[in-house]
Amino acid sequence: MTLTIALAKGRLQDETLSRLARGGVCVAPEDLESRRLRIEDRSGRFRLLLVKPADVPVYVEYGVADAGVCGSDVLAEHDADVHEPLDLGFGRCRLAVAAPVDSAECDYSHVSRLRVATKYPRVAGAYFRHLGVPVELITLSGSVELAPITGLAERIVDLVESGRTLAENGLSVTEVIAEISARLIVNRASYQLKRHEIAQLIALLDPACGQGDRS
Amino acid sequence: MKPSRPIDLSSVPPGVQYFLDDEVTLRRSIERDVMSVFAGWGYAEIDLPIFDAYDLFALGMGGDVAALTYRFTARDGTTVALRPDLTSLVARTVATRLRERERPLRLCYTGEVFRADEPRRGRQHEFHQLGIEHVGWASPESDVEILLVALETLSALGLDDARVVLGHAGFFRGVVERIGLDLDAEARLRAFVDRRQSAAVEQCLAPHAPAADCAAFGRLIGLAGGRAVIDEARTLVSNPLSVSALDQLSAVYSTLEHLGLDGLVSIDLGEVAGLDYYTGMTFSIYAPGWGLPLGGGGRYDALLSKYGTDEPAVGFSLSLDWLAGALAARGLDVPRREQPERTALAAGTDLGALFAEAKRLRAEGRTVTIVPQGAEGTAR
Repeated sequence: MTLTIALAKGRLQDETLSRLARGGVCVAPEDLESRRLRIEDRSGRFRLLLVKPADVPVYVEYGVADAGVCGSDVLAEHDADVHEPLDLGFGRCRLAVAAPVDSAECDYSHVSRLRVATKYPRVAGAYFRHLGVPVELITLSGSVELAPITGLAERIVDLVESGRTLAENGLSVTEVIAEISARLIVNRASYQLKRHEIAQLIALLDPACGQGDRS
Repeated sequence: MKPSRPIDLSSVPPGVQYFLDDEVTLRRSIERDVMSVFAGWGYAEIDLPIFDAYDLFALGMGGDVAALTYRFTARDGTTVALRPDLTSLVARTVATRLRERERPLRLCYTGEVFRADEPRRGRQHEFHQLGIEHVGWASPESDVEILLVALETLSALGLDDARVVLGHAGFFRGVVERIGLDLDAEARLRAFVDRRQSAAVEQCLAPHAPAADCAAFGRLIGLAGGRAVIDEARTLVSNPLSVSALDQLSAVYSTLEHLGLDGLVSIDLGEVAGLDYYTGMTFSIYAPGWGLPLGGGGRYDALLSKYGTDEPAVGFSLSLDWLAGALAARGLDVPRREQPERTALAAGTDLGALFAEAKRLRAEGRTVTIVPQGAEGTAR
C-alpha cells in the first residue's frame, strides 16, 4: 500500500528526505527540482506532497496524507487532531516572547493591555491568557521583528533559532513558551488501517533506530 | 416606512447544510439500511425532540459540550437547547417513562444534533447521527452484541474493509490510579497517550515506575493488533482495574475469533479519547479512504446514574455525514442512487384521462411527472 506523506517545504524537507534516503527511500533529484508538488519515490512505496509548513497538519488531519513532518510550533497553532508518534529531534528552536532590549523585563503587572504581534495567534493568546495578561493580538504572516521597531506592537511571539535576527533588530528573548522540534504526525484512520506501513515509516525516521545506538 | 435591507440569500451561515438530489437519495438510503440492521437485532426506534432543557444536556455531557449548544429561552423562562447529542435524551427517557420496562432495553435513533463548534475537519454545526443504546445488562453478551451490530451495519453498507479499533477505559484508569497521578498529570499523560507520543508517555511515567516498565508502556500504547497486544499488556500491569479490563477485552476478542471476525477488529490500548464518559469497552470505526472515524461507541455504566437510575449501558453511533462521504469517495454511492423509471405525461385537454393514466403507471411502479405539452422529451 502506498503511503502518502506531506512534507513541509524547506529545511525540514531536506532533513526528512535524508533520513528516508538512509533507509533506501530515494527521490529522483529531477523530481525535487521540478515544480511538481506531488512526487513518488523510486520504489513507489511513498508518495510525497510538498506543501507549506502550516498546511501539513491540514493534509494529515483530513487523511489526504497518511503522515506528515512538521514543526511542533505548527501543530500547536493548528491544534491538529492527529497522532504524533515520533519526535524527530531535528529542526530544533524555541517559540519565545521577545521585546526591545531596553524594555525586556518580564513584569506585566503594570500593563493594562499588551499588543503582541505574531504568526501564532492561538499559542500566543493561550500563553498570555494563562498569565492573566490582557493582550491585543496582531496576526502577521512574516517579518514579525519589525512590529516592535515600528511601534505596531510591544512584544512579539515568534520562533527563535540563533537569536541573530532578534539581535540585529534590537530585540531579545524575554520568555520561552516552548521548545520546538520536527514531529512525525499520522492521520488517526491511517494509523489503524495502514499499521504495518506506518510502523515501517516510524522505524525509518526514528533517530534512535537506524544508527544502531539507543543510548 | 424605511425599506428594509435586502437579505443576502446566497449567504448560508457557517456550519449548516442543504442537501439536494443524489445526496439526499444517498443519505436516505444509508439511513434506511442502517436502521433496518438495528431493527433486525430488536432495537426499537425512539423519535426524540429537537430541543429540550439545557440542564438535561449539561447533566449528561458535562459543561464543555453543553457550552457548545444553541440555547434560547422558552416562554416560561427556562433555558432550552437544540440537542447537542441524542444519548442524553434517551437516558432521561430510560430513567423516567421506561423505568419499569423489562431489561435489557434496546433502543435506536436517527437524527441531527447541533453544536456551535468551530467548523473544522468538515464537521458542521449540524450533523446526523445513527445509533443504538443497550441498557440494563452488563455482560460480555451485550458488549459483543454492540460490536456485531456495528460490523453488520458496515457490511450492509458495502464497507467490508472498514475496521473496528477496540480499547477499554479501565485499562488506562487502572494505571493512573495505581501510580496515583493528580488530575493535571493525568490529563497530560492522557493527551500523550491519545496522540501516541510514546517517548513523552515514557517520560511522564518515569518518576513512578522502573525505567524498563515505562519504556514498555510507551511502546504498548503505540501497538495495535490482535491477542498479542493483550498478552504484552498482561506482563506490564497488575492492578485489578487494568487486569479486569484486559480480561473483558480478551473475552470479547475470543468470541470474535470464534466467529472469524477478529480480522476486522484490532485492539489498541491507546484508545483513551472518551474516558470521561466510557467505563468499559470502547471502540472507533475507520474505513480506507476516509481520514475521519465513521463512528464509535462503548460501555458507559456511569451515565444513567446521573439521571437517577443506576444501570449499565452500552451503545454506539455512526455519522451519517461521514458514511455518505466515505461511500461517495469510493463510488459505492452509485447503486444507491438508482431510481424507478420516470415517465413524463404531457398535459392535455382531458385532465381526467391524464390523471387516470398517471395513476395506472404509478401502480406499475413508475415515477410519473406531468409536464407541459411538448416537453415530454426534455423532462427528467
